[in-house]
Amino acid sequence: MEHQDYQQLLVPHSLDALELSEARELEAHLETCAECRAEFVALRDDAALLTYSAEPAEPRPEVRARILESVRAERTGDRAGAVMTDKVVTMRPRANWNVWTMGLRVAAGLAFIALLIGLIVIWRREVKLQQDVAQLNHQLNTQQHELVRNRDVLARQREALALLNSPDAKRLQLAGSQTAQNARGSFVYDQKTGKAVFVADGLPATPPDKAYELWFIPKGHSPMPGRIFTVDSSGHALLPEQMPADAMGNAVIAITLEPKRGSAVPTGAIYLSSPKS
Amino acid sequence: MQAEPSQISDNDLLHAVARGDESALADCYDRYRLILFGLILRILNDRQEAEDVLQEVFLQVWRRAGDFDEARGRAFTWLATIARSRALDRLRAAGSRARLAEEAAREPTDEVGDAALDALNSEKSAIVRNALAQLTDEQRKVLLLAYFEGLTQTEIAERLGDPLGTVKTRMRSGLIKLREIIGAARDLV
Repeated sequence: MEHQDYQQLLVPHSLDALELSEARELEAHLETCAECRAEFVALRDDAALLTYSAEPAEPRPEVRARILESVRAERTGDRAGAVMTDKVVTMRPRANWNVWTMGLRVAAGLAFIALLIGLIVIWRREVKLQQDVAQLNHQLNTQQHELVRNRDVLARQREALALLNSPDAKRLQLAGSQTAQNARGSFVYDQKTGKAVFVADGLPATPPDKAYELWFIPKGHSPMPGRIFTVDSSGHALLPEQMPADAMGNAVIAITLEPKRGSAVPTGAIYLSSPKS
Repeated sequence: MQAEPSQISDNDLLHAVARGDESALADCYDRYRLILFGLILRILNDRQEAEDVLQEVFLQVWRRAGDFDEARGRAFTWLATIARSRALDRLRAAGSRARLAEEAAREPTDEVGDAALDALNSEKSAIVRNALAQLTDEQRKVLLLAYFEGLTQTEIAERLGDPLGTVKTRMRSGLIKLREIIGAARDLV
């Protein structure tokens, strides 16, 4: 392309009306041709005057404020405040942004409610679990107590059996008094150690504020208090005992009904007693 | 610190902006917002979009004022080039084709002539409009299609159904004639 050919392109190029390939070719020429470059600058200024054929219009005052705000934010290096891309702080995107923000707020609200419901559900489960655990603990305690009691009963029975089998064992039969004619009992003791066991059957149920009390009554002596006990629903009782040394030999064994905590001396009616020797 | 803003030349204003003078940018905006917003609005025909673009333009001015070289054209040309490019980019963006078609349907010459212009720009506008009015309809149409719609000569030829050579001739003769008419009043513009 000759110089004159390029000159023909200057006017359309000043209006950006050339096809891309032509524009590139002309730009390359302008780099080297001062004459064309000067002409192009003048034509560009002329073309820009077409701007004045447009109707002047007043933008809203917010535009000025936004521009200066962005510039200030950029100056202070507040990249978060300023929109650093060429797309700046725009107005319609702001409306979209508001929609997004509203959407996010609604989503956050829903998430919060869901979280709250979840927490309530978990809390209620927790309470239920705690109740279940407490109930199980109670059952376990009850069973443990029963186990201990059963072991205790078993131990007493073994002790009683061992005592019955002892060559030094002596057995006293107790008969029911007028008050408890169906009652009967056995008191077995080791004549060497004084270790004893008492078994009773057919005794009337123990009143709530009362207890049976065992007495050792050596001949010519005051009654000596032994154990306090209650009977089960069938009127049965089995309890270990220790024969006082003073009562060894010829003491009478008697059972009376006494206040719940027992008495130092017999105060109630006799229910069972061994025969006087 | 500095003279009354209206006393400062456009060149000095842009040099001040290049040095990071915020108030110079504000003055520049106050001086050219009406005509540049008019240009952008004329291209986009949508106030909302036009305001977005105006904002982009002045942020670009703020960042790139150092690129302005008065040896390569007037300050106003530099500003108008940025505004026009930005607006045309927006116009070409997705969704703007419909508006382009709408623009095509309008008679460009309708825009010439009878506006009430603000005091600052009225004289310049009057000169340019007067000059445009002296062109033939064909010359004027070709120049306005190129400037406000960003059409190439080929596209204008297709749009108007005229031979490409004819469009080239009209464009060239139109701008040269415009220059001749305005030439006497160049100092004003």
